[in-house]
Amino acid sequence: MALLEIKNIDVSYGRRATVQGCSIELEQGQICSVVGESGSGKTTVIRAVLGLLPGGGRVSAGDIVYDGRSLLTLSKREWRALRGHDISMIFQDSGAMMNQTRLIGKSFVEYIRTHESVSKQDAWKKGAEMLGRMRLPDPDRIMRSYPFQLSGGMRQRVGIAMGMTYQPKLLLADEPTSALDVTTQAQIVRQMMELRDEYGTSIIVVTHDIGVAAYMANVVVVMKDGHIEDKGSREYILNESTNAYTRKLIGAVPSLGGKRYV
Amino acid sequence: MSELLLEARHVTRRFPAPGGKELVACNDINLKFYKGKTLGLVGESGCGKSTFMRFLVWLDTPSEGKIIYRGKDITRLKGRELHDMRQHIQMVFQDPATSFNPKMKIRDIVCEPLLNYGRIKRSEKNAKARELLAMVELPGEFADRFPHNMSGGQRQRVAIARALALEPEIIVMDEATSALDVSVQETVIELITKLQREKNITIGFICHNLGFIQSFSHQIAVMYLGNIVEVMPGDKLAEVCCHPYSKALLNAVFDTKMDFSKKIEPIKGEPPSPLDLPTGCPFQDRCDRCMALCREKRPTLTEIEPDHEVACHLFAKEGDA
Repeated sequence: MALLEIKNIDVSYGRRATVQGCSIELEQGQICSVVGESGSGKTTVIRAVLGLLPGGGRVSAGDIVYDGRSLLTLSKREWRALRGHDISMIFQDSGAMMNQTRLIGKSFVEYIRTHESVSKQDAWKKGAEMLGRMRLPDPDRIMRSYPFQLSGGMRQRVGIAMGMTYQPKLLLADEPTSALDVTTQAQIVRQMMELRDEYGTSIIVVTHDIGVAAYMANVVVVMKDGHIEDKGSREYILNESTNAYTRKLIGAVPSLGGKRYV
Repeated sequence: MSELLLEARHVTRRFPAPGGKELVACNDINLKFYKGKTLGLVGESGCGKSTFMRFLVWLDTPSEGKIIYRGKDITRLKGRELHDMRQHIQMVFQDPATSFNPKMKIRDIVCEPLLNYGRIKRSEKNAKARELLAMVELPGEFADRFPHNMSGGQRQRVAIARALALEPEIIVMDEATSALDVSVQETVIELITKLQREKNITIGFICHNLGFIQSFSHQIAVMYLGNIVEVMPGDKLAEVCCHPYSKALLNAVFDTKMDFSKKIEPIKGEPPSPLDLPTGCPFQDRCDRCMALCREKRPTLTEIEPDHEVACHLFAKEGDA
């Protein structure tokens, strides 16, 4: 059985459905990339999975089934247990998603203590250990830093470390590398692939970088104007698909030894 | 190559830093801009690429060095002379949403430079705005819009129209397409290269994606921590690129035609703080081919073949190491 099934969902703000008839299935240990232009609804879909739609947004049709249980009927308490434990999310700039006036360690401790009853000291130790496991140099110094004191790449790795604390079965990544330099992007992409290989985490990654999407994914979903335009294995999307929009999108990716304009 | 248009000689910029230290944002930069050609400047954030390009448009002044354009050192211009010179070098910024006055209509935005230099009368504004919009392939009705009524790609076209209004010889583009979607990015680049061919404009383009910039640059300069480490011809990038840092940047490019079974090998760590640079090569701690010499002596930019310069001890010729 699939780990996550998004079954034909509509997401509406008010009366209008902005995302229509979206279906994605994800097996354990698979990586699925969602690509598309800005405004195509790709972020809305993964936010719907975690029940994080902004005010007024709701899933108005269809169902989201995670591990055999519908996510749409969960109570607040059930959500709290699930979020950050079974399903985690990495944002475009994890540092900006943290409280800027609190130490990273404090935020980390609070997060750990939401999910387990441990002492602050033990939670601090667990956090530092997690940072170390994500190969961040000098975890104790990072725990004692504020988010703004770290570079973009470091903050993103802190975000990944936090998200991975409870080895979630499903990781949702919303443009995890878009704000980073190419070299740091390569490090983060590699790290996310290693998570899958080591812990068997399933990942949905939303990105507009088709190169990154293709490298990471088993399955690629192309979205356009709120619906799924094309879907299939990486080889199918890159080479075989005859969908005009997919072809146009892939043709627009600059590639080495590819098209030159001058 | 064609005629030399602008030359930066030994340009250095130091910023004072706390604790009596100095931050060297640009260290002895020598670059040449040729007529009608594009120079792509690549590097990670904070390497000083924007700092350098800002000298060309007088948003900052170098601490040392000269920028020679039309036989004059443009960094020391003042008053009337500076005012006149500004019309020959224009700039397009990264985020078109924040580089326009939100209360001005597109018509006023694109015509402001022309009015500023007295090139047109107020009565001609409407016609000129439509002409400029047509040049960047936008409908004339856009003249009545405000910047927030347009998409990112359309705004960037307006920014290009504004920069081109004075018919400059050089345009500096600071990550002009980074905020755009790939498909929009493609059409904007097509437009830029078309206008470049028609008007023979020189472009200085800042970018951090080597894969993207090589598709339209004639010359590519790679910058690391304030130093130019390699200058190479754009059309043969993949074959000739040899500095370990340029190679690392190239390996970090994700491409739809790449070999997906290959594990990516990103370079380790992050650039050291520009405040306490090691002696010797700035790239030494991240380089996998670092030698003893690299820790002692900073390599200088040396020509290894025509139009191809590298600053690395690995490629230094006998005698001048």
